[in-house]
Amino acid sequence: MKYAAPTALLIALFAPLAVHSDSILAIAIYGFMAASLAVSFNLIFGFTGQLSLFHAASFGVSAYIVTILVTAFGWNFWLAVVPALAVVLILSLIVGTICFRFKLKEFYFAVVTMAFSEILRLVILNWNGITNGSLGITVVDRPSLWTPSGAVQISSGIAWYYLTLALLVIVYVVCQRILSSWIGRCLAAIRLNDQLGETLGIDVFKYKLLSFAVGSVLAGLVGAFYGFYSGFVEPHYLSISLGLDIIAMVLLGGVGSLIGPVIGAVILTALPHVIDLSAELRIGLYGSILIFVILVMPKGIVGLLGSRKNAA
Amino acid sequence: MLLDIQGLIKRFGGLTAVSNVSFGIERGEIVGIFGPNGSGKTTTLNLIAGILQPTEGSILWKGNEIGRLASFEVAQQGLIKTFQNPQLFPELTVAQHMRIACHLHIKRALGIGRVLTLLRGTPGELDGVLTRKIDQMLELCRLADKRGEVAGALSYGSEKMLGVAMGMVCEPELLLLDEPASGLGNDEISNLDAVLRDLRTHGVTLCIIDHKVGFLGRLADRAIALHHGAIIAVGKTTDVLDNSAVVEAYLGKKHA
Repeated sequence: MKYAAPTALLIALFAPLAVHSDSILAIAIYGFMAASLAVSFNLIFGFTGQLSLFHAASFGVSAYIVTILVTAFGWNFWLAVVPALAVVLILSLIVGTICFRFKLKEFYFAVVTMAFSEILRLVILNWNGITNGSLGITVVDRPSLWTPSGAVQISSGIAWYYLTLALLVIVYVVCQRILSSWIGRCLAAIRLNDQLGETLGIDVFKYKLLSFAVGSVLAGLVGAFYGFYSGFVEPHYLSISLGLDIIAMVLLGGVGSLIGPVIGAVILTALPHVIDLSAELRIGLYGSILIFVILVMPKGIVGLLGSRKNAA
Repeated sequence: MLLDIQGLIKRFGGLTAVSNVSFGIERGEIVGIFGPNGSGKTTTLNLIAGILQPTEGSILWKGNEIGRLASFEVAQQGLIKTFQNPQLFPELTVAQHMRIACHLHIKRALGIGRVLTLLRGTPGELDGVLTRKIDQMLELCRLADKRGEVAGALSYGSEKMLGVAMGMVCEPELLLLDEPASGLGNDEISNLDAVLRDLRTHGVTLCIIDHKVGFLGRLADRAIALHHGAIIAVGKTTDVLDNSAVVEAYLGKKHA
């Protein structure tokens, strides 16, 4: 498994040379963005042990802020990302401080973060003047990149493919660096036995907050791009069902691993397109997969591959 | 004086678990706190370690009040407590436990410079120091041959020893041990005795609570006897154990 991530990256870098289908490219782009969400979520859930239902809210709030700043106020896309991430950072620090100061754990933490997430969704749903309510906002603009030959709009599928792949790599590397450092060991201590961690001198509150804030800001980073690729933002971005989708991706791929959520996200993003299903059936399928995974392979696909190797 | 406790009181609702306890610990000592079950030993230790907050009284560490600090802050000051029932990370190996316990060492060595390790990794020099330190402590606690084992697979005695080793790798000035001998067999107790004596030669001050009079009676320089949350005797261990009030508290009036 050591070379899984570099190998996957190498394949992803050259895949567009072999694959010329626009629809497969689109699935890959959505897959990369879902994977970025899942990897950042796993920092909070899998590695720190905090079941946050705030992840979709961080994603959605950032998507809205960037979209509104660009479409209504004419800001440059890249400039608009900065306040969007700042707002997500502040929100996550507020929600995290409240939850962790009151030592909310497990389902209490999940329910309170879900409540905060719903508050934000309802604000966006009802703030018609700015957010256009349940209709959402259509995005026609595209971000530009500055090259020596002038600004180039990121509009082609191929350009989005590499942009979202870069996004995934950034999210992955940030999480990987954190987890391989002393912070990663503090997070492991918190996940496995926070009382013991505390008596070894680890500031449990600080490291929980750090993990929650970093994970949330990374979700915000994904959100900033998402609306510009899909062409619209809507209140559904902040919904609980997106939060549950992310959990399903992480559980399917493997909770305790970095590459696991990437695998889970790509599979669950591609699956509905491979076997053509209506939205209702898709949710049913997600639910069934989730139940199956929890019962049969609690450590996900990566855990299954790992145990095979150990058995051999 | 390293630790100076004055008028410590802890009430849980109507129950006074620790009532007006005062004592001090000098550097280099082994202090034993004796007492039957429910005498307030563990509560006293938890108050010192910051796991509980005192209702009244003061806890001075090198002259500074630490009674209101959180347990991680107390640990950062150099007071480390081990648990009566080993609290471990079930999925991790002995060596991984020790690496996590090096948290304070890294914090002291690098300070805010730790942020740079996010980019460059832990400096090789520090890594070497930590590895040697871990090896040394595992050797000292007779766990060197178990470093690759998962905590869940250890015997109860080894689990307790790992708790001590993790405490030691934090480089404490005062190690607080909560009933280290409870649940151990005779061989394991004599092993523990030897380890704790070795720890003293490493310059660590020990404060141990236990109700095994034999084990702690041999080890401690000075003893404090608690009964119903109050001190009933202080002094040289042999004197305290011969004290009639202590014998009475342990065995009841008839036998005294």
